[in-house]
Amino acid sequence: MSDARLLTAEERQVSSAAEGTALDLAARLPSLVVAAKEIASSVMHGVHGRRVAGSGETFWQFRPFVAGESTAGIDWRRSARDDRIYVREREWEGAHTLWIWIDHSPSMAFISKLALQSKLDRALVLGLAAADLLVHGGERVGLMGLTRPMAARDIVGRFAEAMLAEERMSGFASAELPPSMTLAPRTQAILISDFLSDPAAIAEKIDVLSSRGARGYLIMIADPVEEAFPFVGHTEFLDVDSDARLRVGQAESFRDEYVVRLAAHRDAVTSAARRRGWNVLPHRTDRPASEALLALRVRLEADPTQFARVAG
Amino acid sequence: MFGLPLAFTIPAVLVALAGLPALYYLLRVTPPRPRRVPFPPLRLILDLRPRDETPAHTPWWLLLLRSAIAAAIILAMAGPVFNPLPAGESRPLLLVMDDGWAAAPDWDLRMAAAMQRIEEAARRGQIVGVAATSDGGREILATDAAQALDRLRSIKPMPFIADRLALLVPIANFIAAQPKAVAVWIADGVERGDAREFSEKLARLAPGAVLITTGQAVRALAGPKNESGELGVRVLRSSAHGPAQGVVRALDLKGRGLGEARFNFSEPGATSSTETSAKFDLPTDLRNDIARLEILDEHSAGAVSLLDERWKRRRIGIVSGETADLSLPLLAPNYYLRKALMPFADVREARPGTPDPIAALLDEHVGVLILADVGNLLQNDHDRLKQFIESGGILLRFAGTRLAAADSDDLVPVRLRRGGRILGGALSWETPKRLAPFDAQSPFFGLEIPDEVTVRRQVLAEPDADLPGKTWAHLVDGTPLVTASQDGRGLIVLFHVTADTTWSDLPISGLFVEMLRKVVDLSGASANAAETKGEKAQTVPPVRTLDGFGVLGTPPPTAKSVPVTFGQAGDADHPPGFYGASDQLLAVNALRADDTLRAADYFASGLASEPLRQAAPIDLRPALLAVAFLLFIADALASLWLSGGLARRFGRAAAALAMIGLACSFSPSSLRADPKHADPSPSQNDLQAALNTRLAYVVSGDPQVDEESKDGLTTLSQVLAQRTALIPADPVGVDPARDELAFYPMLYWPIVAGRPQPSAAEKAKVAAYMKQGGTIVFDTRDALTAHAGAPPTPEATWLRHLLDGIDVPELEPVPSDHVVTKTFYLIDGFVGRYEIGQTWIEALPPANPADGARPARAGDGVSPIVITSNDLAAGWASEPDGESLYPLVPGGARQHELALRGGINLVMYTLTGNYKTDQVHVRDLLERLAH
Repeated sequence: MSDARLLTAEERQVSSAAEGTALDLAARLPSLVVAAKEIASSVMHGVHGRRVAGSGETFWQFRPFVAGESTAGIDWRRSARDDRIYVREREWEGAHTLWIWIDHSPSMAFISKLALQSKLDRALVLGLAAADLLVHGGERVGLMGLTRPMAARDIVGRFAEAMLAEERMSGFASAELPPSMTLAPRTQAILISDFLSDPAAIAEKIDVLSSRGARGYLIMIADPVEEAFPFVGHTEFLDVDSDARLRVGQAESFRDEYVVRLAAHRDAVTSAARRRGWNVLPHRTDRPASEALLALRVRLEADPTQFARVAG
Repeated sequence: MFGLPLAFTIPAVLVALAGLPALYYLLRVTPPRPRRVPFPPLRLILDLRPRDETPAHTPWWLLLLRSAIAAAIILAMAGPVFNPLPAGESRPLLLVMDDGWAAAPDWDLRMAAAMQRIEEAARRGQIVGVAATSDGGREILATDAAQALDRLRSIKPMPFIADRLALLVPIANFIAAQPKAVAVWIADGVERGDAREFSEKLARLAPGAVLITTGQAVRALAGPKNESGELGVRVLRSSAHGPAQGVVRALDLKGRGLGEARFNFSEPGATSSTETSAKFDLPTDLRNDIARLEILDEHSAGAVSLLDERWKRRRIGIVSGETADLSLPLLAPNYYLRKALMPFADVREARPGTPDPIAALLDEHVGVLILADVGNLLQNDHDRLKQFIESGGILLRFAGTRLAAADSDDLVPVRLRRGGRILGGALSWETPKRLAPFDAQSPFFGLEIPDEVTVRRQVLAEPDADLPGKTWAHLVDGTPLVTASQDGRGLIVLFHVTADTTWSDLPISGLFVEMLRKVVDLSGASANAAETKGEKAQTVPPVRTLDGFGVLGTPPPTAKSVPVTFGQAGDADHPPGFYGASDQLLAVNALRADDTLRAADYFASGLASEPLRQAAPIDLRPALLAVAFLLFIADALASLWLSGGLARRFGRAAAALAMIGLACSFSPSSLRADPKHADPSPSQNDLQAALNTRLAYVVSGDPQVDEESKDGLTTLSQVLAQRTALIPADPVGVDPARDELAFYPMLYWPIVAGRPQPSAAEKAKVAAYMKQGGTIVFDTRDALTAHAGAPPTPEATWLRHLLDGIDVPELEPVPSDHVVTKTFYLIDGFVGRYEIGQTWIEALPPANPADGARPARAGDGVSPIVITSNDLAAGWASEPDGESLYPLVPGGARQHELALRGGINLVMYTLTGNYKTDQVHVRDLLERLAH
C-alpha cells in the first residue's frame, strides 16, 4: 500500500509563516509560479479571432451595403469593381472574461507516495498557469471571489497575493465549494478542486454560477491513492473535513465497493456539469500538470462560438 | 445456605470463584491498534458496515457468558446438594398431621416429610407420637418409631376439615408425659378449622414446636349455579400464591367428561385475587347432565362440587292466548312469566306466527308447559298435551277471559264455573281479596305472603268434594287460587288468575317467582314428591361419598343419613357425597355455596416454620454441568455469529423455512362455497299484496257471493280513497288454504252454508292470522232468517264449526262506546244490506270507574274477530253513479251511506286500533294546556 499523508499547516498555506512581504510570495510559491509560467508558455497563444464578424484586424468577409447604415464601413475599393456597394467586415476579436477558482480546503492537502505533488499544489499550479496562459492570450481573468477580471502581465503574482491576503484574514476557513456568485453571460469559469463534496451541492453551485448562461470547466484532481484504494489489513480511516472515522478490519474488502461508489460520485458530478453544458476534466496528481493544461486549452479552443481561439 | 435448602459437599472449591474477575480481565484482551490513514473521500464509504471485523472488545455479554460457564463449572465441582438432610436433635417427637381435604393435593409430600421425621427419630431411638387433626380428643399414644410409622400410614386425608382445637387436650397430655418432646405440625395452610387459634395454643403448649407448611394455595370449588345460558361455579383459593389459571372439568354421573372451563384468578373478571369463577357454556341438556365439577389436577374433596336435581335447569314453554302484540310487552302475560322464570329455567316461546305453538314447544321437549289464558285447544294439541302430562310433564295454566269463556276441557285440575267473578268492581260490594296462608300440604308451604298482593278477578271452581285436596293456595274467603291434580305421572296446575296484572297483583310480586319456582321444581320429581309429601324431617342415607382426594366411593361406616333439606358443608358425620335413592340424589359438598377460603395466619403464633418440600436431597452437580455444557454451545454459536459465519450458513435455510410457512398460510378457504339456503320464492300475488295495503275477502266458492264481496270491497276501497287518507289498492279474493294472509289488515269472510269446512291446517292458519293481529269480519248474511231463541241458521252453524278449536276471545255486541263506532264517523251500528242484525266484537275489559265517563273505550289491541249478519258487502256495493248496486232492506240512499260509513269505521279500526280513544280527548287536553 502507499503511504499517504496530509500536508502540515505550514505546507498547506499559500504563504509561509513569515508574514507580509511580496518576497514571501516568492518564498512561498517559487516553484509553483515558475512551474505555472513554464507550463503556460508551452501552450502560449495570441489574440484569437471569434470566427464571427465584429471589431478586429483580420478581414472576415464582404457583404452588400444595406441602405441606412453608416457609409464609413464601405469598402470603396471593392465597390468600385462593379455596380454594387460592399461593406468590408472584419472578424470580431474581443477579450473574454474567465473566472478561476482554486480549492484549498483540507481535503486538497493530501499527498500519497504515488503522487508527484499534493493535490493542493497541483491545483495552484494549474490555476495560476491557466491564468497566465489566458492573459497572454488576451483574455481577462479573475480569481473568483477575490479579484476582479484583469489582463495584467503579472497575473500569477497578483493571484498569489490575493490568496495570501485572503488567508491572512482572521477567521479564514477554506471553502470546499466556490462562492455563490452569478457570472455574466459569455464568461467562463474554471473550477479546480477534487470535488469530493456532495454532488447535489456541487450541482447547486454550478446552477448558480451558470444561471445567466456562463459556461465552465471542472478540473477534478485526484490522488492516485484515491482512485486505486490500495489499503489492506486493519485500518482506521480518518476524514479530513470532519471528525468521522472508520475502523475497518480488512480494508481490501472495501475496495470493490469503494471503486463503484467513486465512479458513481464522479458520474453524478459529471452529469451535474453536463446539465449546464459544462465540461469535466479529470486529472491525477501522478500525471504531469501540463497534460491537464493542454486538455483545458484544447477544450477552450474547441468551442467555436463561445471561446477564443487559443492558438494564434 | 442463604435461606435456601442448599449445601455443598466440598465448599473449599468455591474459593475458585474469586478467580472469576481475573478471568474476566484475561478474556477482555484488546486487539492491536489499527493503522490510521487520512482519507479525503472517506465520506463516500462512511455508511458501509464492516462485513467482517474483529471488534476492539469482546462484547460484555459474551464475557458474561464465559464467566457464567466458569462459575457453573466451579459450582459443580463444589458438589451442591439441594434439600440436604437437616441436622436434628435427640428429643421425643410429636407429629401432628393436618388431614383435611386441603392437605390432599400434596399428601405424598406430607407423608414423606412425616416419615423423614420419624425415621430420624428412629435413628436416635426416640419415642414418637402421631396425631391427625381429625382424631379429635383421642389420646396420642407414645410409641416407638416403627409403630408410629404404621400409625402414620393409616392416616388418609378426610373429605372435610376437622376442628383442630379438639386436639389440644391430647397434645397437652402428651407433652405432660414427655416434657422434652418437640412438636412438629404438618399444616395444610388453610384457616378453616381454627388454624390460627390452634397454632397459638400449640406454641404455648409445646415450646420449640416446628410448623411445616407449604406456600402453595389450596384451591376449591363452591356454589355451582345453573343460570340462564351457562353453568357457573365459584373457584376459590387460599392465597394468591401458586398458579393463577386452571381448568374446571364437568362430568356426568357416570364419570364421562362433558366439558371444560378455564378460570384465571388474575384476569379482570375475577372477584378478588382469591376468588374467580368458571363458566360452562353448554346446551341446557348437557348442563343438566352435569353431576360433578372438579378442578383438574387438584385432587381433593374441596376441589369437587357435586350437583343434584336442584341444579337441573328446566325447560319451560310458554303459550299465550293473547294476540301477539309486540308493541305492548307489559300487557302480555308472557312478559311476566318470562321475567319470573328466567332466573332458574330456560324459557321457550314459539316463534311469532307459528301455526301450532303448543305442538312446536312440545317438540322441544319442555318439562313444563305454561298455557296463559288459552281457552279452546285443537283436538290434536289436546291429545298431545294429555300424553305429555301422563309421561310426567307439568301443565301450568293461567286463567283469563278466554279460559273463562271457553268450553270445559279436561286439562284443568278442577271443574270450573264459567264466567268467573269480579271482586271490587263497580257492580260488586266486595273488595279485592288477599291470599290466605298456605296449607301444610301445599308445595308453597313456607312461602311468605306479601300484604300487597290482591286478587280482583278470578275463575271459580265448582265446589266438588275433592276440591280442598287439590287446592294449593286459596284466598282469605276460601276460594281456591291455585289448584293442581295428579294426572298419570304429571301434574296439571291452574292459577285461577291471569299471568298479567289485569286480574291480580300476583305477577308483580316476589311471591309469584317463588311459586313458579316451586312448581317448576316439581317437574321431573313430581311423582316422588307426591308420595313423600307430608313426612317431617325425612332423611336420606349416604350412597356414595367422597374421600379426601375427591374420589367417590362407598361411604365410611361412620357416615349418617342427612335430612333432605340439608344445606350445610360436609362434616365427619355427613361426608360430602351423594345421598338418597339413585333417581333422587341429594348432593352434599365439602364447601357451602357462600364459603370462602382463607390462608392460615401462623405468624402470630411464633412457631418456627419450615417449608414443606421434597425430602430426598438432590445432587445439583449434573444439572450444573449440563448448564455449563449448554452455555458452551451458546458461546460457540455466538462466536460463529460474531464472525459472520452463521448468517452465511443458515440464511438460505431460514429463507426456505419462511417460504414453507408462507405457503402453508394459504389455506384453501377460497375453494369453500357458501351453502345457499333455498328460499321459497313468494308468489306474484303475495308480492303485489305486500307492496300495497288492500282489503281482501275470502273466496267462498259461490260465484254470486264472491261477486258481491268483490263489488262491495271495490266500492269501499274507492270511498276510502275519496274520504280518508288511506288509498287502498284493488281488493283481492284469497284462499286461506293457499295464500299468505299476513299482508291483509282486514279479511272479509262471507259465510256460505253448505260449502265444505276448511281443513285443520287452514283453521290453524286462520287462528295464527288472528293471533298475529289480523281482523276477520265474518258475515253470516242471515239477519232476515235468524231469530233469537230459534235454532241457529245453517250459516251460524257453519261458523260455529269453523271456530270450533280456534281460540276465540270473549265476544259481546258492539257497545255504543266501543272505539270502532268512533274511528271515523260516529255511528250506532254496522249496517249492510240489512240493518237489524247484531254485530259482535271482542269483549272489552270492564270499565275502570276511575276513568270516569269516557266517550270511547278500547281494549289493548284490535279485536281479531267481528261477526255480523247484515251482509255488509252487499250494502257497500254501488253503481258507478253512487246508487246502491243491490236492493237494500228496508232501502234508501241513507242506508247505503250508513253502510259505507260503517265499512270505513271498520277499516279505520283495524288500521289505527285504540288510537281514537285517545283522540277523543284532544279537546280536553287542549283546554288543559291552554290553562
